[in-house]
Amino acid sequence: MNHNEFKQMIQLSLYGELSDDKQKKLISHLESCEECKLELEQQKSIMMLIADHRNLEVNEELLKEARIQLRGALRQERNNRSSVSYFTNHIFQLFSTPPRLAFAALSVLILGIIIGSIFIGRGKITAPEKNPELTNASMFDNDLRISNVQFIDSDPTDGEIEFTFEVAKQVHYKGSVNDPKVQGFLTYAMLNDQNPGSRLNSINAMDTYKKLYLDKEVKNALITVVMTDKNAGVRREALKLMNRTAFDESLKQAYLYVLLNDSSSALRIEALNALIEANKNGHSLDRNDLDLVVKQANQDDNNYIKLKSKTLLQEYN
Amino acid sequence: MEISEKELIIKAQAGDQVAFEQLVYNYDKAVLSIAMRFVRDTDDAKDIYQEVFIRVFRSLKKFEFRSEFSTWLFRITTNVCITFKSSKKEQVSVPLQAEFDEDNKEFGKVELVSDEKSPEEESLSNDLQTFIGNAVDSLSERQRITFVLKHYEGYKIREIAEMLNCKEGTVKKYLFDAVNNLRKKLKPLSAFQT
Repeated sequence: MNHNEFKQMIQLSLYGELSDDKQKKLISHLESCEECKLELEQQKSIMMLIADHRNLEVNEELLKEARIQLRGALRQERNNRSSVSYFTNHIFQLFSTPPRLAFAALSVLILGIIIGSIFIGRGKITAPEKNPELTNASMFDNDLRISNVQFIDSDPTDGEIEFTFEVAKQVHYKGSVNDPKVQGFLTYAMLNDQNPGSRLNSINAMDTYKKLYLDKEVKNALITVVMTDKNAGVRREALKLMNRTAFDESLKQAYLYVLLNDSSSALRIEALNALIEANKNGHSLDRNDLDLVVKQANQDDNNYIKLKSKTLLQEYN
Repeated sequence: MEISEKELIIKAQAGDQVAFEQLVYNYDKAVLSIAMRFVRDTDDAKDIYQEVFIRVFRSLKKFEFRSEFSTWLFRITTNVCITFKSSKKEQVSVPLQAEFDEDNKEFGKVELVSDEKSPEEESLSNDLQTFIGNAVDSLSERQRITFVLKHYEGYKIREIAEMLNCKEGTVKKYLFDAVNNLRKKLKPLSAFQT
């Protein structure tokens, strides 16, 4: 055994990870080796030096903050999942059965056209109007768009190729804002549309009607938007709409999240006002919530928020 | 009646949010602790914590009880730590490789190198804890996570090997290299101590 191996054994010994027989071997070696004795002293010294420097205990407040943020992120995760299924479920309801079948048939035809074009047309897709079979699909007004063709197997030598592609069709739909299908679309758009203007319009569209019934999906989507949308204007509109729905635990958590985390003081004020209003209406805050409000009262750089938070806290003292 | 962990996992896999939350609460303090000691920053630690449990949420259905749930969870945690990139753009950078003059054994005279020194950075240069922290941070990700798990969290080498999905010998090597690197980087301080 060489010195390097003994040095590693010294370290393992200091960490209590050395087996009994190796420990005996090490002790025996140390009795006769000055170099390894010095190594032991140096390793002990370095261990002592770095022993406690990362005394970073996780306190309850930090854990609580992490849990609140996680809850928001999980809510978004669930919404993203359910909105996609909500959207896909409803989009198929928009088609009556015969066009849906025709749609499927057309997809198969297009697949055939693309495969044919690869073998016969050297990669050029035959213009749809020149294919006599395609005229059967005129009910789609030629506004189907194929995109994102991805080859899984592009080698034709075995007689087969494999690929995926996306087919998109523009759909015109008109309906009541209380229609679950419409709410499904608006929910999907407010969460997923790339354009902040479209997200804003989706929220405002729901805000148009005074007698608005929001189902759980929509409410969860609004909470997600309030907590995660990058655009402050979109978050604010979502917060306003949220204010009009019945106060409950999930809304309380969302308001607290905004109060503690939002970069916009206007939104933090709206959230604080909503909590104050809820308190007036009998929805009192518990000890954990109050701790978070205290934290905000101490650290917010906005004097109005400091003052209002302290006023709210005084009601509990 | 107390519900077993296996039952909790099965319920969570079936979409039970309460069960999932309970699973999180059983382990989240340990996850946050590892993250805190790995990155030494509360915001970054919370980011790691969140990423870990989002990954758990996404892949829980694929968990097939081939290992302990805790092993699986901490494996995700160490993966997230190792691949984590802080979103904070402005960080005090303290190169540690060549800043020491061998003769400069007095800690107070040690200067940390950074591009622009604010008064706060100047004061940091006199902070022993910060200096040691930077030395640990300068280890490679795998050496650092091994060192944090062993030295600060007190896990057994066997457990760390399971978390990192590697052999115990590899963990010993990471640990040995980590301590050796720290010794080199902290040599002036140990001289000051003794």
